[in-house]
Amino acid sequence: MSGGLRRGMADLACRALQAALPPSLQSWGAAIRCETADITDDTEALLYALDSFYGLMPRALAWHLLRPFASLVGDGAPFNGDSIMIKLYDATIRRPRATGAACAIAAVTLGLVHMAAAGAPARYLAINACALILGLAILALPGRTMPGGRRLTGAAIVAMAGALLATALLGVSVDGAARWVRLGGFSIQPSLLLLPVMLVAFAQCRGTVATWGMSAAAVAMAIQPDRAMAGMLVAGLAALAIMRSERFVVTALGVSIAGFAATMARSDTLMAVPYVDGIFYSSFEVHALTGAAVVGGAMLLLVPAIVGWYRDPSNRATYAAFFAAWLAAILAAAVGNYPTPIVGYGSSAIIGYALSLLALPTLAQAPAEAASQAHGDADTIPPDRHLHVSLA
Amino acid sequence: MVLAVLLHANGEWSHGYELVRLADVKSGTLYPLLIRLEAQGYLEAQWQQPAEGGRPPRHAYRLTASGTLLARANPPAHAQNAAMRVPKVTV
Repeated sequence: MSGGLRRGMADLACRALQAALPPSLQSWGAAIRCETADITDDTEALLYALDSFYGLMPRALAWHLLRPFASLVGDGAPFNGDSIMIKLYDATIRRPRATGAACAIAAVTLGLVHMAAAGAPARYLAINACALILGLAILALPGRTMPGGRRLTGAAIVAMAGALLATALLGVSVDGAARWVRLGGFSIQPSLLLLPVMLVAFAQCRGTVATWGMSAAAVAMAIQPDRAMAGMLVAGLAALAIMRSERFVVTALGVSIAGFAATMARSDTLMAVPYVDGIFYSSFEVHALTGAAVVGGAMLLLVPAIVGWYRDPSNRATYAAFFAAWLAAILAAAVGNYPTPIVGYGSSAIIGYALSLLALPTLAQAPAEAASQAHGDADTIPPDRHLHVSLA
Repeated sequence: MVLAVLLHANGEWSHGYELVRLADVKSGTLYPLLIRLEAQGYLEAQWQQPAEGGRPPRHAYRLTASGTLLARANPPAHAQNAAMRVPKVTV
């Protein structure tokens, strides 16, 4: 990139920021523009402008959104430390789990809108709403971190794999597929509950025991058989193998590919269940907006991984596994008669999503430190206090 | 760190790019902080005309009396070490 282009981009970013800032802060926009222009190195100038843009533009946008309520929140609310919106923004963007909780709430809500518009039984709506509350409660539990030790995590993965094998061998069978267990009058799909959290946990704590557990889960998916979940396992482990090509990961990936191949070799004749399967298509038959709500809601599930990827580079392998797992579930629902996670009817995916969020790292460390400096210098309030209802 | 650098400037005016380098923060972190400090009366800001022609004017900052008290009351971790390596900022 030429020096002139870098300089031009820097000036463009400064001008855009200045235009977006409220009138009372226009001088700050001009200050950044002049300061950028005074930096002799073109690359440094561009970085300075882009960093300033990144730091202030969200507040400028928040100011525009809050303008109708300026009399209530104050004209410069997004730029002082007391803005609720900015506190929430700061707190969630630094915490992939909290971001995920917000995305889950939005996705379930969009799913409820679709189901209500499509005429789903009220019981379905209530069950999804209750599953969301349960999932959020799990995320908000005190001592809400996953077991930290490698041995404990490995044992937990093996235990969950055992539950999946038990489901395959002893679970409720429909048309040759044994994927469910009956619990308190409800039909639960353990693989949707457990596989995502197993993948995220394995991404952070790989070892012999955990690898045995992941391999057993692949075998369970082959026995059930469940192409969608076997595909989720392959996708999650493949993403992990790209990031961490260790023997444990490669071994588990090899077994999962074999398991997936086995599910492809077996017939899958299950019909689509209304409000559960195939709703990426049926929702558009209801209305274009309900279709958009379903697709948008499903895409929201990936946001925590994207946020984590950019905010927490040290844990990218974990976010890649999370992203690949849920993307595989979404794609499977798009191409076959498999549950549409979160936005479709079914509590297993909602709770499973919450569990997978629980396994994510608690905080995007590096940016938090920088932000902590910013807030801490001014009022010494640690950023952890920003969310009174702490989710992560 | 930003407060520590401003405090170490000892009443002299500082510029944004200098603060970014000396406090080792990004400009996206610095400016929201400066805006808040100014709004709360801890910081003074003024435009300064360039000493040489062809250069843009610059926005300069220094702590007010209350800002100095705030900075002294809230030393960052390793403030002493940082202050040792921060050169005097003079405009």
